[in-house]
Order: sequence, then structure tokens, then C-alpha cells
Amino acid sequence: MDNKFTPTEFISVVNQTLDYAYGNVLIEGEVSSFKINQGKWVFFDLKDEESSVSCFMTLYQMRMPLEDGMKVVVRGTPKVTKWGKFSFTVQTVTPVGEGSLKKAYELLKKKLTEEGLFAPEKKRRLPEDLTKIGVISSTQAAGYADFIKIINARWGGLDVQVAHTQVQGLDAPDQMIRALKYFNERSEAQLIVMIRGGGSADDLACFNDEALVRAIAASKIPVATGIGHEIDESLADLAADIRASTPSNLAEMITPDKKTMISTVQEMVVKVGKVVSQKIDEQITRNQDEIDRITREIKLKIDKVLSDILQKQKILDALNPEATLKRGYSIVSGKISPGNVVKITTFDKIIKAKVEEVDERKNS
Amino acid sequence: MSEKTLNQKMEDLNRQVEWFYSDDFKLEDAISKYEETTKLANDIEKDLNELKNKIEILKEKFDK
Repeated sequence: MDNKFTPTEFISVVNQTLDYAYGNVLIEGEVSSFKINQGKWVFFDLKDEESSVSCFMTLYQMRMPLEDGMKVVVRGTPKVTKWGKFSFTVQTVTPVGEGSLKKAYELLKKKLTEEGLFAPEKKRRLPEDLTKIGVISSTQAAGYADFIKIINARWGGLDVQVAHTQVQGLDAPDQMIRALKYFNERSEAQLIVMIRGGGSADDLACFNDEALVRAIAASKIPVATGIGHEIDESLADLAADIRASTPSNLAEMITPDKKTMISTVQEMVVKVGKVVSQKIDEQITRNQDEIDRITREIKLKIDKVLSDILQKQKILDALNPEATLKRGYSIVSGKISPGNVVKITTFDKIIKAKVEEVDERKNS
Repeated sequence: MSEKTLNQKMEDLNRQVEWFYSDDFKLEDAISKYEETTKLANDIEKDLNELKNKIEILKEKFDK
């Protein structure tokens, strides 16, 4: 006998079969008839040139703004409602293609900017004396290898904990959110860094996930990002406290360069040596100046004494009778009266002479 | 007394270097101070060359 179902039983069996066959299926298509009911239920159709699938999800699950015309990939489960209508229950939705990604990015950027999530005044500075870092990245990613290589070359003494997560794809945002939660609740990290090397717009789309961007903005520990290349800008970058253009650039931003530091220390010592040498030279100059000054003073005093002596010598010379004799005069000694013998002293002779006559001389 | 950290040594070095530019400078103390400064600078250079980072990949799974 053929199986017979009630409508409820039949729908239940169909749903079980659908769940078994297509429990976790991806569909890519264009959004149309997008609407939000009662502020929490999201309805839209996913269509291509020929067909259309009705989709349903909660607003909470919608991690990026949607609009009609956007191309998306949805993950979910097909289902028949109790009214017999076929519907696709969406768990995740991700824009695909450059146009849709750009549109979703701009819509979410506008919304979060208006909420103040990217406000410059909310940005925290790089912690001083940084020793503990939490890294969120895929350990297989080239960007991660670059980051580790550069921090090891530039600095030491860091305690780096790495949370290995996906950094692209549908599961990446939730994994990175869990890693953020881990570091905030169970680590002593002073800074959380999120890194990923370059990739296509699709690859980097996970960094524009609304829940992830909000988790970054809400992190108690400052967050720094180094995602993609110089030209890439993600909403995760805008929400982060510190943003670098690449993982390598981030490594350079958060670590001092020990080679530069060694050069600086060596220069300090060389400069100090020059200061000491200069001060010694200055002291020698000062000492020499003092010696010169004292020498001049002594010389002046000696000159003065010599001058005094010379002057006195001249006086003495002038008073010396020998000098008078030398000029031709003579000294007559003895009683000057006729018949007496007197002594006449000249410069080179002593003469005894008898006085013959003495006349008074009138002085003119 | 425990070994000083690199930052503490850098602070010491800066303090020692400042002395040479300050009014406290005395030529008679300069040679011994200069020797101390050179020794500290060499010590810092050695520390910098020997410092290594500790990289730990967490065992925690974040996929669920």
C-alpha cells in the first residue's frame, strides 16, 4: 500500500530530504525584491536570467547591507514552509563581484561612520613599552611570514601569541571575532594585530564584515591592522586604532629597529667623547691664558724694578766723584795756604804740590 | 638585585649622557664617567643583539 501523509507530515518529510541532500548549499545570484519586515526579518529573491529563489534570513545574520541588483553568494538550507511555499533559509550572505562588493562596502561604511565607529577621537595610541602582542592571522599566509620575519629582524623580547584563523572566505569573520574575544578575555596582550597579505576584492571582503568591524571597534585592547596592499582599504582598517598599509609596514610601525638603536647608542658615546675632549681643550686654553697673564704681570713687575734700579744707578753715577775726575776735574786736599804741600787727585794720578800763592776768587 | 631591563638601562644611559652637558660636569670626574657610559652602551648593544622574540601559536581552535 502506498504511503499516505498528512500535509504536515509530507512537508516535514520533504524538509528532512532537502536538509539531507542540500543541508549546506551555496547559491550565487542577484538580489531582487529585498525588504526587511518588522525590523528583524529579511526577505529577498535570488535570481539569474531564468529562475528565482525566495530567500529568508534574520536581520542579525545579515553581516553586510544588501540592495536590489547586488550579486551575492548565500549559504543555507532549502525549505518548504507550512504553507507549501518553497524558500531558502539563509545563514550567511556575501557580496561577490567588484560592483556588489563596492556597493556593500559603501553602504556599510556610511552606516558605521554615522554611528561614530571610525571617529578619530576614539583611536588609541600604540602602547608604550610594548612586550605582549596578540596576532590574528593565518599562519600559512605570506603576510604572516613577512610580519614575523620583520619583527624578528627589528626587535627582540616580544611575547607574541598567534591565533591561527582563516583570513578569507565565509567563515573568516566569525573566526577572527572569536580570536578577538579570546585575546580580550584570556590574554595579557597589550596590542592585537590583524594581518593578511594582498588578495582580490573577494579575498579581502571578510574584513568588511559588519560584526567583525564592530568587534574591532569594541575591543578593550587596541587593535592594529595590516591588511592587503597599500591601495586596499577595509572597514576593519577604519575601525582599528592603528592602521598600516601592509603586514610588513605594520611590523615596522609597532617595533623599534634595534640596528638604529645600536647606532644611536654608539653615536651618544662618540658625542660624549667629543664633549670631554672639547672641555679638556677649553681647560687647556684657559690654563694657557692664565699662565700668559701671570707671565705678563711678572714681567711688568721685573721691568719696573729694573727701571727703578737703572734710575738709581744713574743718580749714583751722577754723584760718583770718579765721574767728575773722569771729566778732567781734580780734588785738592790739604791746607790751602802758601808754602803748604797739598794732595791733588786726578782721574789717573795723585800729585803732591806745594802752594805758592792763594788769591780769593770772585764768583760770577 | 635583579638585572635591569633594557628600558631601565636606556634611561640610565640618557641620565649619564645628560651629565656631560649639564652644569654638574667636572673635568676631574669626566674620565671615570665616560668609562661608565661606554660600558653601559656596550651592555645595551649586547642586550639588543641577544634579545629574541617568543612566538607561540595558540592551540585554541577558532573555527567553532
